[in-house]
Amino acid sequence: MLPLLSLILATLLLGTVATFLAGAKARWAALGTSVAFLAEVGFLFLSYPGWPGYNGALVPGFSDQESYAWIHLSWMQVNYTVGVDGISLVLILLTAILQLATVVYSWTEAKRPAAYFGLVTLTCLGSFGVFVALDVLLFFLFWEAVLVPMFFLIGFWGGPRRRYAALKFFVYTHVASIVMLVGLLALVFYSGSTSFDFASIYAAARGLSPVVQVFLFLPLLFGFAVKFPVVPFHTWLPDAHVEAPTGGSVLLAGILLKLGGYGLIRWAVEVLPIGFSHVRPIIFFLAFLSILWGSVLALSQRDLKRMVAYSSINHMGIVLLAIGLGSSLGLLAAVLLMFAHGIVSALLFMSAGSVHHTFGTRDIPAVGGITPTTPTLSTMMMAGSLASLGLPALISFPAEFIALLATWDGLGYLVLLPLAVLVVTAAFYLWMMQRMLFGPARGIPADAHDIPSHEGLAMGLLVAMAVLFGILPGLLVNVIANSPVKGFPGT
Amino acid sequence: MDLLSVAAPFAPELILLAAALLVFLLDVLGVRRLEALGAIGPTATGLAFVLVLADLGFSPLAGLRTLGAGSIDQVPGVGSAPLYAFSSLGLVFQALFLVAAFLVSLASLSRPSRERGAAIFFGLLLLATLGMLLVAIASDLIFLLLAIELTSISTYILVGYTRRDTRSLEAAMKFYIIGALSSTLSFFGASLLFGAYGSTNLFAIRAVAGSVGYPVLALLGYGFLLAGLAFKTTLVPFHAWAVDVYDGAPSDVSAFLAGGSKKIGVFALFLVFIGPVLFVRVGGGSNPFAGAPFDIGPVMQVTLAAVAILTMTVGNILALLQREMKRMLAYSSISQAGYMLIGITIGTSPALAGATLQVLAHVLMKGGAFLVVAAVAGLGVGPLIDDWRGLGARRPALSVAFALMLLSLAGVPLTIGFVSKFVLFSAAVQAEGFFVWLAIAGLLNSALSVFYYARVLKTVFFDPAPPLPSAPTTADAATPALRAGGIGYARAAAIGIIAVAIVGLGIYPQPVLGAIQSAAAHFVNVGA
Repeated sequence: MLPLLSLILATLLLGTVATFLAGAKARWAALGTSVAFLAEVGFLFLSYPGWPGYNGALVPGFSDQESYAWIHLSWMQVNYTVGVDGISLVLILLTAILQLATVVYSWTEAKRPAAYFGLVTLTCLGSFGVFVALDVLLFFLFWEAVLVPMFFLIGFWGGPRRRYAALKFFVYTHVASIVMLVGLLALVFYSGSTSFDFASIYAAARGLSPVVQVFLFLPLLFGFAVKFPVVPFHTWLPDAHVEAPTGGSVLLAGILLKLGGYGLIRWAVEVLPIGFSHVRPIIFFLAFLSILWGSVLALSQRDLKRMVAYSSINHMGIVLLAIGLGSSLGLLAAVLLMFAHGIVSALLFMSAGSVHHTFGTRDIPAVGGITPTTPTLSTMMMAGSLASLGLPALISFPAEFIALLATWDGLGYLVLLPLAVLVVTAAFYLWMMQRMLFGPARGIPADAHDIPSHEGLAMGLLVAMAVLFGILPGLLVNVIANSPVKGFPGT
Repeated sequence: MDLLSVAAPFAPELILLAAALLVFLLDVLGVRRLEALGAIGPTATGLAFVLVLADLGFSPLAGLRTLGAGSIDQVPGVGSAPLYAFSSLGLVFQALFLVAAFLVSLASLSRPSRERGAAIFFGLLLLATLGMLLVAIASDLIFLLLAIELTSISTYILVGYTRRDTRSLEAAMKFYIIGALSSTLSFFGASLLFGAYGSTNLFAIRAVAGSVGYPVLALLGYGFLLAGLAFKTTLVPFHAWAVDVYDGAPSDVSAFLAGGSKKIGVFALFLVFIGPVLFVRVGGGSNPFAGAPFDIGPVMQVTLAAVAILTMTVGNILALLQREMKRMLAYSSISQAGYMLIGITIGTSPALAGATLQVLAHVLMKGGAFLVVAAVAGLGVGPLIDDWRGLGARRPALSVAFALMLLSLAGVPLTIGFVSKFVLFSAAVQAEGFFVWLAIAGLLNSALSVFYYARVLKTVFFDPAPPLPSAPTTADAATPALRAGGIGYARAAAIGIIAVAIVGLGIYPQPVLGAIQSAAAHFVNVGA
């Protein structure tokens, strides 16, 4: 069998090196890498077993698995083990789409393009690694490998307060990573597994007592919750998002936040089902807090980018809620929501970036009636906003629908809370559209013209994806439902 | 027994001795050029390094140590009290010492060739390295302490060798006085141990350690010895000299002190504490509090644990407060010594392997960082961290190498610094009980250390370059001085080797780690 995952990693690695060395031609190297990445992921997607008609055994088996010895000592075995299942596959597809869109969107980046595109490719390499790693150390390694390029992307290409934001991002998420690492190491050693492989930890952790499971679950939850981010660990996100360059924000919101969700599902919930079932009240509390507080904060923002950033907290709160439900329907909803949020928030951050450099400001009340001047941008913004508020036939609708269904299934009338918040979300997007897109023109510079074609192309790609998977969510649902660990034995 | 078979096991040491004498001889004969004298340094250390690697089985050459009288990892028969013994862990340390000496002497080829005292620099560097190699084969307290003295006296002079800079001279004086005090403490400790055990031989001490007649005397002896060695290893509260010395010494010498000669203290602690002491437990298990009040093992273990935690924490907190680059690196070096002490405290073979790997990592990252500081100082950049603003844009390759060293110090994955901390902390978790807290303290400390490393990265890469008031107002005033001179090929090569090693060993540590693991296992099983 073709070592497809290693092949993709090698492609990304070579692409990163080539991009860093390509100088003025870096964007072409980055474009080539992302197209190759997307093509390989497409092949991976289509060759996934059970596509279609997989009977879905409940053992933790992964497709395209490879394993090689890496660090073998007498008291521990660390391997290079990679593999995918439906959950990771969907998020890998998201990574590939967003990488291509980011490269195209940033096509004319003039400030040290080789370093910029190289770091973008490196971030995607790290994220891909996180999604395929089936070894604790390998997972942690890729997890941290995402951090460093993002630190530089924010700190060098960001806005006026970029240095502060970069430092805050780095320190905040690094501390969380260390707590997570403690949790993971404790998981390995307390379960009595000398191998760091997912499969052997999964098997060994079955024997842990509930108390131990809870104590192991908590540091993992904290580590992943910061990445999500969950209120009250969210304060790094607005700063990082607002100061990051548009490409950085897209990767941050589109991919990096998903690392938290994925990590929680794969390394905490699946491995420690009993601990998870005891910690669920905490998860629900954090989820509802994030949903409410995120939307309240989003409502009160005047800065378009900041508003999108806070609405990310709100959306990721729903993801956490769906994970917390602990049903296979909830899991399905969580993964779909992450995919949808990845596409839609990327679209909105791109819109905010385009608004900023077309009109020189992102202040919502300052600019209005932009549609006649910038029809392409308005169309894309409208598509993004409508997708974000959950219009049917766009990707968020099936995701949110299943999430609400699963919440009703699990929590009954508490579903009214996220439902109400969704209405509020719809309201603030409609209000924003009404002020910025329609009505009499104001605050438009005389020399403003429609966005350059590469920006339109990037956003168009995302809109196409939102429509495609909005109409045919089954393409994703089939794959997610064929994940080896279905439902959670502890609940 | 012919001369060859007697001398062959000591080939690396003899090479260094001959090279040092050659340097002094050439100086007397009037050869003063830095390039000519300096070339001897990397050549001799490189050759010795290859020979040591051969003993560890890393090269097609047969190991010389197995010829003649020498043999590796053998316990001498009862009644014999050898001064030296070859252990594979000792050979690993010899290799590390030689790497440090090689890199520093290679980089020093790029020192300004007008500078005087090249013979003193390279000659003493070789002699200091010789002392370090002897430490790694010692099996007798007196031999050990004399070997440490050889290194110490050489480095006292090295610190002040330029003879111009008053700061260097002051540092040398301080280093000498403190060093003399620490030697006194060590020798006093050794004499008390002789009183308690009737021998200064480590094998002999180990043989009778379980039935010592005067536990309080032995405890006092170990206490004094620990205090003396703590000075050498810069453990808190015996660390205060290190910052002034590292700061005042020429940066290449600081690289050798922090990256190289300080580690003899670590190996001396291995020798003194792992074999005889830590396995004499009455209470047993992994709880050192369970023993009787004067059990040497448990008491020393608790002491070492406290010193380790104190060293890490104090080093990190003070590093956070520094505004000068060299002082920050010096405090970070102190905190890194605390991590190494964790391994000694636990004393299992995984923990020793972790500590040894941490030594290797520190040789590369801290030695490398001081070499970069020397290079940057040569470019006319001031001592403050703020003076490094904008260096990332002006010297991208050098800055990236420096960034790798700092990321490695912070324990970011894909660097050797991560692997070493990972092995060390996982060994602590694996030892269970009391030791898990050491791992947690270490992890908290590495989280804390991220602050000051990230701040330096931010300064180097993101902050705009400061206006240079002293710059000549020419058309190209934006990059004065920095464009004028390079950092020298030899120094660039040394820094390049270090950067590649940091990442290479971070990605695939298995060959080195495997060798260290088996060496550590032998060391714990055989003892001193």
